[in-house]
Formats: sequence, C-alpha cells, structure tokens
Amino acid sequence: MTQRASQDIHTQIKGESRLTLRQMESLMGYVLVAPLLVCILVLVVYPFFFAIAISFTDRSIGAGGAFVGLANFEYLFNQAAFLETVRNTIVLVSVVQISKLFLGLGIAVLLNLPIRGRQFWRGLILIPWAMPAFVAFITWKLMFVPQGGALNYMLIESGLVTTHVDFLGTRELAMPSVIVALVWRGFPFWVITFLAGLQSVPEELYEAAALDGANAWQRFLNVSLPGIRHIVLIVILVSTIGTTNNFEGIFLLTGGGPSNSTMTFPVFAYYSLQNLNIGEAAAVGVAMLPIFAMLAFVVAILLQRDES
Amino acid sequence: MKRFWKYSLHICVFAILATLFIAPTVAQDDTFVYWGGLIFSETANDAFVARVEEWGELRGVDVEVVMINQNETVQRVSAAIEAGTMPDALDLGRDFMLLLSQNEQLEPLTDLYAEIGEEHGGWLESINSVVTSDDFGGEIYGIPYAASGANILYRRNDVLEPAGFPDAPETWEELSEMAAAHNPPENYGMGFALSNVGDANITTTMLQSYGGRIADDEGRNCTIDSEETREFLTWITGAFEAGLFPPGATTWDGAGDNTAYQSGNAVFIANPGSVYLNILENDPELADWTRYSALPGGPVMRVNPVSTVVRAVPVATSDAKKELANDLFKFLSEDEFAEEYMSAAIYGPALQSQVDFAVFSESPVHVGLLGAAINGTPGSFPDVDNASYAEYQTNFLTPNMVQRIVVDNVSIDDAIAETQASCQAIYDKNNE
Repeated sequence: MTQRASQDIHTQIKGESRLTLRQMESLMGYVLVAPLLVCILVLVVYPFFFAIAISFTDRSIGAGGAFVGLANFEYLFNQAAFLETVRNTIVLVSVVQISKLFLGLGIAVLLNLPIRGRQFWRGLILIPWAMPAFVAFITWKLMFVPQGGALNYMLIESGLVTTHVDFLGTRELAMPSVIVALVWRGFPFWVITFLAGLQSVPEELYEAAALDGANAWQRFLNVSLPGIRHIVLIVILVSTIGTTNNFEGIFLLTGGGPSNSTMTFPVFAYYSLQNLNIGEAAAVGVAMLPIFAMLAFVVAILLQRDES
Repeated sequence: MKRFWKYSLHICVFAILATLFIAPTVAQDDTFVYWGGLIFSETANDAFVARVEEWGELRGVDVEVVMINQNETVQRVSAAIEAGTMPDALDLGRDFMLLLSQNEQLEPLTDLYAEIGEEHGGWLESINSVVTSDDFGGEIYGIPYAASGANILYRRNDVLEPAGFPDAPETWEELSEMAAAHNPPENYGMGFALSNVGDANITTTMLQSYGGRIADDEGRNCTIDSEETREFLTWITGAFEAGLFPPGATTWDGAGDNTAYQSGNAVFIANPGSVYLNILENDPELADWTRYSALPGGPVMRVNPVSTVVRAVPVATSDAKKELANDLFKFLSEDEFAEEYMSAAIYGPALQSQVDFAVFSESPVHVGLLGAAINGTPGSFPDVDNASYAEYQTNFLTPNMVQRIVVDNVSIDDAIAETQASCQAIYDKNNE
C-alpha cells in the first residue's frame, strides 16, 4: 500500500473529512487560483465582451446608448480615414514584423556564437526594449526633427543632402521613419527569445550535422530553424498583437499624420474617443478582432502540426 | 496542525488584501475630492491647491485636490464616469462641459452663477455668451473662473522691425507677406501647426475670417464647399509652398509651435501665454524681442475665439457635498484669490471685478488676454456651437484638409470635396 493511499484511508477512518488529502489539496489549489481567475474575468474577459456589446450601440460617456446594429461599423467603413487606417496597419505590421524577424534571428544567431564580449553584447541589445517607450519615441522624434535633429545634422554635414529632410512630415518618409523606430524598439525581444530557443537546441545535432558535411548555413536551415520553429511562431503571434496595438510610438512620432499616412487602429480609436462616442471607439477596436483571430488560428494550426 | 496554520495564513492574506482595497474607499467618503485643472504655471497651480486647502481648514472639511493635466481631462473624466468614481467637483473646459451636460452628468448651477455674477459686478459678455447658449437648455452647468483659449499673436520684433515691419499685422495676408519678406533658411515666418493637434484648429479660425463656414446657420448642413474656403486654401497652401511654414508643422505635437518659437525657428506663433511665462523665466532676451497682439483678421472679418474654463459639480455628488461645492466656488471666486491666481496664470478675466487687476495692465501678454476676453468672439463664431461642430474640431478636419493639399498634392477642389463629405457625415450622424 502506498503512503498516499494509507493517508487517504487514515483520514477517512479518523472522520476528520469526507475528502481525501488529494481532493483537499486540489480544492485548495482552486481556492488559491480563484482570486487570479476573478481578476482575469473582471479585468479581461468582461471588458472584452463589454466592448463588443457597446460597439453595437450609440453609447457615449455617461449616457446609456441604444442598440444601433451595425451603424457604427457602417459609419466607420464609409470614412476614407478608416480605410486608410486599415491599409496603414497592415503595411506597418507586416514590414515591422518581417524586419524584426530577420534582424532578431540574425543577431540571435550571432550572439549564440562564442564571440568575445558575448555577455556584454547580450546586455547591450536589451537597452531599446528596456527603455521606457515614451523616452524612446520622443528621442526618435527629436532625431527626426528637420531643424536641429541629429539625423539631418549628420546628413547635411556629410554632404549627402543640401536641405533639411522632413522625415515625419512627408508621406513618402513618414511611414518608413515610424517603422524604423518601431523595429528599433521591438527587436530585442525577438533576439532574446530566439537566443533562448537556440540555446535549447542540443549541441549533438550540430555536431552530427557537421559530421555529415553540412556547412554553417545548412546547419542553420536544418538544425537551428526547425529547433526554434515553435518559438518563432509564438513570438510572431505575440509581437504582432503588440505591434498592432502600439499606440505611443505612432501617437508621439506623427499623431497619425501627415494626412493620415501613419494612422493605425489604436490612434484612430483614440481620436474617436475624444468625441465621447465610446460605441464608435469600441467599433474600431472590434474591427481589429477578425485580424487577430485569423492570426491566432493560423499559428495554432501550425503549432498543432508541429506537435503531431 | 501544519495545515491549520497554512489555511490561516491564506485567510489572513486575503483579509489584508481586501482591507487594502476597501479601506481607502471608505475613508474617501468623508473627503471632499476636487480635480483641479493643471496648467503650465506651477505658481498658479500651487496657489490654487493652497486656496482649496485653506477653505477646507476654515470649514473643517477634509479636502483632496488632484491636479489633472488639461490634455488628459477628457480621458480621466470619461473613465471616472464609467467607473462611477467622479470627484465631488472639478474643473472643465467649456466644450467638454457642453458634452457632459447633454449627457446629464453635471449639476445645474444657475442660481450660483447669478449670485457670483452679482457679487462681482457681472460677468463679461463673452463669458456669459458661451455658458448660456441654447445648447445648455436654459441652465448653467459650470461657474467660469477665467477666459481661456484666446490666442495671442507673438512676433519676433528683433527680426521684423529691421525688415521694415514695426507694427503688428492686421490681416493674415499681411502676416504672410511679412513672413515672406523675412524668411531666412533657419527662420520660418508662420509657426502655426497644421497637424492633428488642438493648436492646428487655428486654421478653422483663419477659414472663418476669410468668410468660410463649417455649417449653415441651423448647424445641420456643412458648407465647407464655398468660394471663401477656396480663397483661404489658396492663401495658406501658397504660404506652405513658399516655405513659410517650419518643416514638420504637419506632424507637430501640442508643443511644436512653442518649441519652434523658443528655438528661434518661427517668427510668428499663436499662443495663449505658456510661451510667455516660459521665456520670461528662461529666455529673457527672447522675451525682450517679443511683441504681442490680437490675431489678425481675414478679408471678411476678425475672428478671435475665446472660451472659458469652469468649475462644475457632477450629478453623482452627494447633496451635502453639493452644498460644500457651492461654498467652495464662491470662496475661489473672491477677488483676493482670483488676482493672485491670474497674475501667475495665462487666462483672461471672467468677471467685471477682475478687469482692473494689475496684471491686465502691467503684463503685455495679459493685456492681450484682457482684450480677447472683452472683444473676443464665442468659440465657434460664426458657426453654430453644437456637438457636430465640436466633433468636427476634435477630428481636426480643417488641418487635415490643408494636409491633403500640401502633403498629398491633392487639388484644392478634391480636398474640399473630401472634407465636405466627412463633415456632412458627422453632421448627419449627430442630426439623427
């Protein structure tokens, strides 16, 4: 007889409780998790469904609001600014994520090598991500400023340009400038996560591949990438949601301008809220849901394929 | 036994956490909470807090003053209304007061308004007109404490006078001519925002001075598409193409014009007074070079919008605290405090008794603020002040219209057509 079974019987014989020790410990587990569960229900689940519900109403701050069906969505989709917002969001997120993927993977591979000062470089790479977002984007804005900005100063002094370049004030340069700032801010997360993944790939696999005559590139393609595939998928999902929801970067750099050329969902929703029309503002957020749902679905399928 | 202590520890932790959440809420019930409007002047902010605390001591009331950045008032108040955590009294801008009163979130203060007006020789006409408009349905929902939103034209006299322009421009056309006559590479004439910020809504003021209108006299149909609008756009886009606007004006934040002027990149800006306070303390040389005047007029009229900031009481405030709020508002309206506050703030007077305060004759920018308060036009004039107009402005449709032309090279006619459509969509939505 096992000790646990013995204890179960002992408890029942003594009549202290009808529950076994294991059941009591399970119950205690639920009790301890309950506060967190309540927090998640109250702070995440409820607001989520509440936002969906009010997006179908004409609710404004302090007023109840009546059901209006799809009127908010109809109003949104008929606005040229909203359609441009959808386009901008897709372009911005796609380019930023692809850039972070290549940059993050490349640097992670480098930092995984036995290079001199590796620990120092690993620490240094975290600075953009550790810096408060407000500080980072205000600094970028000051660098982009046409007069007195660091970038213009370097370009003019080096003779590459003869007049000030308005990085944030022209349609052609505003989006690329915002992308550069967002990639700079976000790539360290990818580096560190991929680095952790690479370090979990067994060394024997690399040795075996080397013995089979694989060069560095082939080892990367056939050992490293498959080994961290599931991490890449998770990072893409999490980071895409974060980038799509990024408000402070775009708001601080361009405010969604010039001429809505960098307007994305979160900034658009912010301006909607300025009118106190929370039904309309909620509709902007809800309009993003299908994109996230599709992305999560695709990643889940790929992960499931990995496991099977 | 071990299990007993483990369970007891868990229960104690829960009890402590619960107490931490509940106790502050219980304690706050007896405290009078006031959300004050944080402005640029630390001196004025401190004076305000001290005055409210003095009132609390005199009346034996616990007070808690929370200063809210005026750019965050909409967000903070919106969240508080939804959460049911509104303060007992708060400072608001007039436009936000309108929106909240229409959503029945504010207590009418009509009698108190009349009482305070009577005690101080009456309200200035410009102030009275913006708090008693038809949109308020015959009631008054806030006690004005200053004339706000008035822009004063700042100009660099050290640059303009040697160039042959010793006097202030009377018209926008004249201003752009002065800017063009002296516009060296590092010094741009027209430091006006064209971005998605409140400062950029000066373009609406400019459009109105050219005779353009956002909507008709009923305030129901947009009338952006007009010859007057074309004339305005021709002028402003011409000035932009001539390089008279500082680079980056299309994406400035709320401090963009301040920064441009104080870094010597702009010759003209429009600002209520925050720049004045800053250069007085931090750049006396620039303060010495600066001259102040009213905003220029257009070919049709001079539009000088002035609004007000008010003290209001949420409907959720208890009856006892509403009485206290009324008493506090009277205490804050006393001339002794108002003079101290206004000498440090960037506002104009709201009451007749405040017109003779020394600051309004001694400080050059306050002279301008006084002029704006006395002669200023109601915020939306000549347009109808309603929710549609407010939404038009919060969507920055006039600056966006200008951006479409100068950034995207869209024709004036196409930009007008787009803005007309967007504007009409807003008015149609609010007309339902």
